[in-house]
Amino acid sequence: MIAVNDLRKTYDTGSITVEALRGLSFNIDKGEFAAIMGASGSGKSTLMNLLGLLDVPSGGTYILNQTEVSALEERDFARIRNKEIGFVFQTFNLLPHLTALHNVELPMMYAGVKPAARREQATLLLERMGLIDRIHHYPNELSGGQNQRVAIARSLANNPAIILADEPTGALDSHTSLEVMDIFQQLNLEGTTIILVTHEENIAQHANRILRLSDGLLIRDDIVPVPMNAALELSSLRKEAVR
Amino acid sequence: MNIRELMVVALASIKSSKLRSFLTTLGIVIGIAAVISVVAIGQGGRAMLMQELEKFGTNLFVVYVNYQEGEISRQSDLQVSDITLIKNVVPEVKYMAPVFYTQMKLRGSQGQKTVELLGTSADLVHVNNLEIAQGRFLNEEDESAGRQVIVIQEDTAKELFGSEKPLGQRVVIGSTSSMVVGVLKKDTSVLNDNSRQSAYITMSLMRNMTGMSYIHQIYGSATSKEAVATAMERSKSILERRHNAPGHYEARSMEQEMQSANKILGIVGLVIGLIAGISLLVGGIGVMNIMLVSVTERTREIGIRMALGARRQDILVQFLFESIVLCLMGGIIGTVLGYGGAYVVAKIAHWPPLVSWWTILIAFLFSAGVGLFFGLYPANQAARLKPIEALRRE
Repeated sequence: MIAVNDLRKTYDTGSITVEALRGLSFNIDKGEFAAIMGASGSGKSTLMNLLGLLDVPSGGTYILNQTEVSALEERDFARIRNKEIGFVFQTFNLLPHLTALHNVELPMMYAGVKPAARREQATLLLERMGLIDRIHHYPNELSGGQNQRVAIARSLANNPAIILADEPTGALDSHTSLEVMDIFQQLNLEGTTIILVTHEENIAQHANRILRLSDGLLIRDDIVPVPMNAALELSSLRKEAVR
Repeated sequence: MNIRELMVVALASIKSSKLRSFLTTLGIVIGIAAVISVVAIGQGGRAMLMQELEKFGTNLFVVYVNYQEGEISRQSDLQVSDITLIKNVVPEVKYMAPVFYTQMKLRGSQGQKTVELLGTSADLVHVNNLEIAQGRFLNEEDESAGRQVIVIQEDTAKELFGSEKPLGQRVVIGSTSSMVVGVLKKDTSVLNDNSRQSAYITMSLMRNMTGMSYIHQIYGSATSKEAVATAMERSKSILERRHNAPGHYEARSMEQEMQSANKILGIVGLVIGLIAGISLLVGGIGVMNIMLVSVTERTREIGIRMALGARRQDILVQFLFESIVLCLMGGIIGTVLGYGGAYVVAKIAHWPPLVSWWTILIAFLFSAGVGLFFGLYPANQAARLKPIEALRRE
């Protein structure tokens, strides 16, 4: 699904040249749940932007779904971002003047889906996220966890093969973070490839695989033998609360 | 995205900053209102003027002496006998009246009034379409019998005789006195400034009073609109031959007067319209300014939309559409206000405001054009943003 070879990214800010990525190589297969970890400045966000086609690499190759990305044009990038990748951000990145429903409809609007079909799909996704009674609320009327669930619903709008989540629990408390991880684990079980960037070890432990970056290099690539199960953690938390 | 969806997106964004949108639109509102009202007042005024001139009769023409600079007028240049000759010889001439102007103070039983006193003939009532309120106009016998009679206007009658019945009253002019035989209806035409009142006496009476035997102008009316040119030409050539003075006479028709008045009014209207158009330009610059601010403020939104799959052209169209909608709203409000303004002005000036459908169409297209033109640069700035940079912006 994803094949990265000697991927490099340098930022040229006039006087100084920063090497954010210094040659990364790895593959991520369909159906994987991979966490990318690293301290700030390790290059994990840069990698995320390159994988999400929000930025272009300075060197190396990136093959997404058998397509060499450097051969594509900007309009192809837009189509791939729209149909094949779903983004989830740390700060949700919902449009404040649109309701939850309209925010979820947005990627479908750019995909040219008819309004009625859009509305139906958006409603179904929000229902799945447990937000059926919040669909006409604006982001500022929702809690952080609710907003992140709206954002996840939005990322799923066009049935993408890959979800790219950049610190999706960074702005949430531990309980809400677990709820979000629970959703990701369910989606992964249904076959969606998930790539999660995080700096929290206990969040990363929910993935099947952890790639660790440092100074723009891949230093470790581990399989997680027994990933943590967010659903179980949540139910034990609930039991504790009852007790 | 189809037009309806673009509209929804644009309106949502306009609604999200109501005051700013209103203030931005205000520039366009004022610009369009100014242009519409100027055009409406101008067109209305023109139509009114033409209508009034038409009332005088498009068959009307005037013959006068074309004095060269430094030339001294001769008593014999234009005479009553010229009219008799022309009327006999030129079949295209239907009516023809001499005019001799002078200022005179009229005295009546209740007051006095300085008027423009015209020596003329019976034909003038037909040529100038004068409307009789009481009595009659001057006739042939008044002239041939040398009767001391006068025709005055309603306003003059009031000043001279108060509430008394004017017919049969005596009007004293200098050392002579004349009897009022007719009263003319008040002229409501916008062309007539009512401070100037006219009174009419026969040419023979005028000669006796002033000692002058020549006339200033000849008013004529042709048998038809088509005959005006021939009537003018032949009248001129007869005068030239009779007085042996080639090029000494000039004639102008009402048609020509209307054309030149129309041309001048057209130019005046255009100049004022252009000045009003400048305010529209200023309004457009305001829109561009606010759109640029909006693009900067919404950089993050642009980044999010791009991450979700918006193409550059989607972003471009979105911002262009917003700018056009903003301007069109201004255009619509401005058209309504402009028409309202023109209506008020027209009510005061007593002429109908005239807003033709093409004026509204042009205002519409023009405001959309302003939106397009001044929105293009900001929208292009928005579309050229790199998604990652736009997303990083706070």
